[in-house]
Amino acid sequence: MAQESMTTRESADVKIVDVNEDLGSYVAADLRKTLDDLASQKTQKIVVNLSQIQHINSTAIGALVGTAKKLRQKDGDLKVYGLADNIRRTFDLVGASSVIESYNSESSALAAF
Amino acid sequence: MAPEQKRWQECIELKVPSRFSYIPSIQAFIEQLVQQIGFCQTRLQDIKLITDEICSNAIEHGSETAASGIELICTLDTSRLEILVRDKGKRGQGDWLTGGRLDEVTRDRAPHHERGHGIYIVRRLSDYLEIHPNSQGGTDVRVVFHRSPSTPS
Repeated sequence: MAQESMTTRESADVKIVDVNEDLGSYVAADLRKTLDDLASQKTQKIVVNLSQIQHINSTAIGALVGTAKKLRQKDGDLKVYGLADNIRRTFDLVGASSVIESYNSESSALAAF
Repeated sequence: MAPEQKRWQECIELKVPSRFSYIPSIQAFIEQLVQQIGFCQTRLQDIKLITDEICSNAIEHGSETAASGIELICTLDTSRLEILVRDKGKRGQGDWLTGGRLDEVTRDRAPHHERGHGIYIVRRLSDYLEIHPNSQGGTDVRVVFHRSPSTPS
């Protein structure tokens, strides 16, 4: 059976999105929908686990930035963790590193709220 | 005088339906090509990302339906790879990144904005970028990547 491109779980009041496939255009649409669904509910805090992937495109980064902005408007935030070197480089290139907080581990991302 | 050596060059053309689901297959194909001419891993990742960005734009902004299709023309020789992505445009929208639109996208891009990063990535990571309208009413995007002299072959 094919693995889902992403799955969602919870830790206290934080929703954790595990991304299981590289975030090219096809999967980025799933990420946007998942984040939009969460952000339109009562969710204020989201952590996105990027540790399983090696590629992210501008659409996916846009979805992360957009969701972080939405959550901040209701005193929440979106944080990411587990960025591979290649993904960190893309984040740095577009300046997303200055907008989205990133952490090495899930525990440190959760502790940062 | 030694006879002039003919420079090795090959050209591969692909026609793909305008569906995002085909982009990973295109990237896998490009990856194989890039490995043939010995680009380093970092450069390989850059080229895969740029391929994703250009094809995504051609599908999202330059294709009426999935059947419109996009065309990729890859030209490689011993020192460089050129990728041309051609779309047919959308009715009423035509070519999507000319006539001031490219300047607008570039000017408005900011880290805290959701959109506009794609073409910025392409511009920053490629060695050469050219965008112009084509005779089919769409847009041609051409990028070139040079193999660094220090890159092992």
